[in-house]
Amino acid sequence: MLGITISCLVHPSLSAWGARPFPTFRTTSKERLVKFTHCRRVTLSAAVLTSAALLSACGGGSASPAAPAAHSGPVTIDVWGWNAETGKQIADAFNAAQSDVKVNYVLQASNTATQTNFRNAMEAKSDVPCLVQGFAPLTTMVVNGWAQDITDAVTPTEDTYNDGAKAAAKVNDRYYGLPSGSDGQFMIVNKDTYDKYGVKIPTTWQEFVDAGKIFKANGVDVTNLAGEDPSTLMNLAQQGGAEWFAIDGDKWKVNFTDKATIAAADIIQQLIDNDFVSNQTYKDRPALYSYFDSGKMASTTTQWWSLTGYKTNFPVTSGHWEAVEIPQFSSDKKATPGRSTPSFVPVGCDSPEAVVKYADWLATPEGIQAGKNPKTGSVGLPSSLNDPSPYVKDVIPKGFFVDDTKAAEVMVEAQKATVGKFELGPNYDAWFPELQDQWGKAVAGQIKLSEALKNVQNFVTSDLEKKGISFSTGS
Amino acid sequence: MTATMQAATKRRRFPRGSTRRKRSSSGGAGTVLRAQSGWRVKQDLKGASLSLPFLLGFALFTLIPVAMALKESVFATKTSGLGFGKATSTFVGFDNFAEALADTSFWAGMFRVFIYAIIVVPLGQLVSLAMALVLDGVRRRVAARFRIVLLLPYMVPGLVATMVWIFLYSPVVGPLSDFLQVFGLQVNFFAGNTIWSSIGNLAIWGGIGFNMLIMYGSLQSIPHEIFEAARIDGAGELRIAKDIKVPFLRGSLVLTSLLAIIGTLQIFNEPLLFRAVTPETITKDFTPAMMIYNQAFQVGNINYATALSIVLGVVVGIVSTIIYRFTNRIES
Repeated sequence: MLGITISCLVHPSLSAWGARPFPTFRTTSKERLVKFTHCRRVTLSAAVLTSAALLSACGGGSASPAAPAAHSGPVTIDVWGWNAETGKQIADAFNAAQSDVKVNYVLQASNTATQTNFRNAMEAKSDVPCLVQGFAPLTTMVVNGWAQDITDAVTPTEDTYNDGAKAAAKVNDRYYGLPSGSDGQFMIVNKDTYDKYGVKIPTTWQEFVDAGKIFKANGVDVTNLAGEDPSTLMNLAQQGGAEWFAIDGDKWKVNFTDKATIAAADIIQQLIDNDFVSNQTYKDRPALYSYFDSGKMASTTTQWWSLTGYKTNFPVTSGHWEAVEIPQFSSDKKATPGRSTPSFVPVGCDSPEAVVKYADWLATPEGIQAGKNPKTGSVGLPSSLNDPSPYVKDVIPKGFFVDDTKAAEVMVEAQKATVGKFELGPNYDAWFPELQDQWGKAVAGQIKLSEALKNVQNFVTSDLEKKGISFSTGS
Repeated sequence: MTATMQAATKRRRFPRGSTRRKRSSSGGAGTVLRAQSGWRVKQDLKGASLSLPFLLGFALFTLIPVAMALKESVFATKTSGLGFGKATSTFVGFDNFAEALADTSFWAGMFRVFIYAIIVVPLGQLVSLAMALVLDGVRRRVAARFRIVLLLPYMVPGLVATMVWIFLYSPVVGPLSDFLQVFGLQVNFFAGNTIWSSIGNLAIWGGIGFNMLIMYGSLQSIPHEIFEAARIDGAGELRIAKDIKVPFLRGSLVLTSLLAIIGTLQIFNEPLLFRAVTPETITKDFTPAMMIYNQAFQVGNINYATALSIVLGVVVGIVSTIIYRFTNRIES
């Protein structure tokens, strides 16, 4: 569970006023919303996972070239991350548990600060850490020449992790990141609202649209689609098996209009066209919470680390929500969307094996418990493991769900079905703002999603061409 | 001219101890000239040394970055294959500038902010002027209190101010929508057709304090004898404001207008944050500064971003020059 999907930070594009001429990973607004509210509590849990993730992610041995690979004492590695709550305590626990590797946890102020400091270190070729918490999609790290190929170090113990975690850590079938669990999505529904209007819990996306019709007739929105946040489209596309980017020999295959993406777009388009959804922005948090808590929104997809924030900010409806599995496109195969930003070992680190040892320890029961938050006493959900069920009850806030046991089961099932990998290509930072633009127009009804996707693909190919990157387009 | 006047004139021209006096009283003209020259050089160096800190800062933070930007703007960075290899920079001459000049997104953004500036800058100046005149018309103690209050918005960082106004504008939890509903007005401050007004209101609110302060300072420097003379001649306060105070403020108005225009053409913070609430209207290239930021830090095309920056700088310079000359012509 080396990568992390969550972090308590501000949007890079808002905070990066200084010179930061390198791409930044954008968390979705929904993710940030949750992070923002949780940061103190839940992130703990997230931090645990995160911590593990962070640590694992962040814990990179100092890549100090001076560090000898083999000598009498322990190998010291610098690990960079922004887990202020449990980062150091996890490193201390690891150092106490063995004597081969010594982790020096270097706390960074934030995701943005990590990026800035890391870039400076790489430019200066000095004090390069051995493990850095993932602050951008892995492919971005590889394209920028920052992440080193650690396949040889990771492979011996890769079975520790689930398939999604392993897939997320690979680019072009090589490990450039540490196996990183993706937090699987599930849906929370306002049980009172569903019961009041006699709506059956949808199990497919088409049923979800149909539910929207009933809710609409009663002045209720089936869900919310923020105009600035295209994550719903990305999630549904990933769930349906879309491949927006794939490596085909020595070139990229780009396809924003494949069958799965069109199916996802069709569902969302129905919601938009029939006005079944609201468009509350994540920027106006008080308004958003008020709306979520008003009973006027029946359901939303979410991830485990959002729950504490919801509990805190839904004073009226807490205790009336039910966790259910996310709707599927078909009953054939269950799939859950979820992505992560794996931690990576920078080019220049001489001790990738030491890093992997640390990362693997984080995935052990001892490592997970080391991340227990001293304030909340909980650990995060270790989403990179094959079976995170022993830890799931820890992340469910008391008094939020109608049935905590069922919620725990749903969350475990979501983890099992998490896709994990969704390749975002070599120019994600360039095209994501374009996707935001096009999504905003589509949600506002100015254009159709199918048109928006074509526009994004045109933007992507144009940008790749300018950058000299080889590609072909799918149809 | 009387003898006394001649003596006084002589004293003014050749004060006691001056070089000229020494020269006139000594015979070694060459030595004196050398001494005079050395003294002047020393004086010049002394004077120049006072501006040295500024010159160093200007060179370090303006001239050198501009030179670096010029260099960047004539190169293009490319990679190959999957993009995993090291990127290479090649000299492309003025290609980036040619692309910038033909970039419809960039010029559409420029047109937007130009129209916005035409409306917001004069409006902001008028409000600031009115505030300054009102403050000038009340007692100093009262003015001091209001001056601080009016300056407060200027002290608030732009990003924070924008977040505050996003809350105030919020149709769900903000007070403004409810307040206007009392008068039967249904206003959505985040709608595509009102977003510029919402941003403009925020910009004027934020800029009033600074402009007002400069204008108020100028008003305070006007000799009060003039006002007294006008009042004796029967002029009312409005007439005095219109025909005496405002003409005296012309220099301040030109200065604040220029600063406002320069700032407005580079507008960035406000639309960037408002983008979240109306993404269908405010796109990533909505203003020239937003497009430059996007190219530099999202797309990663520093070369093109610097070319766009230089073009924007040239446009701002041209507009400023035109306005400066226009106002000077009016004055003359």
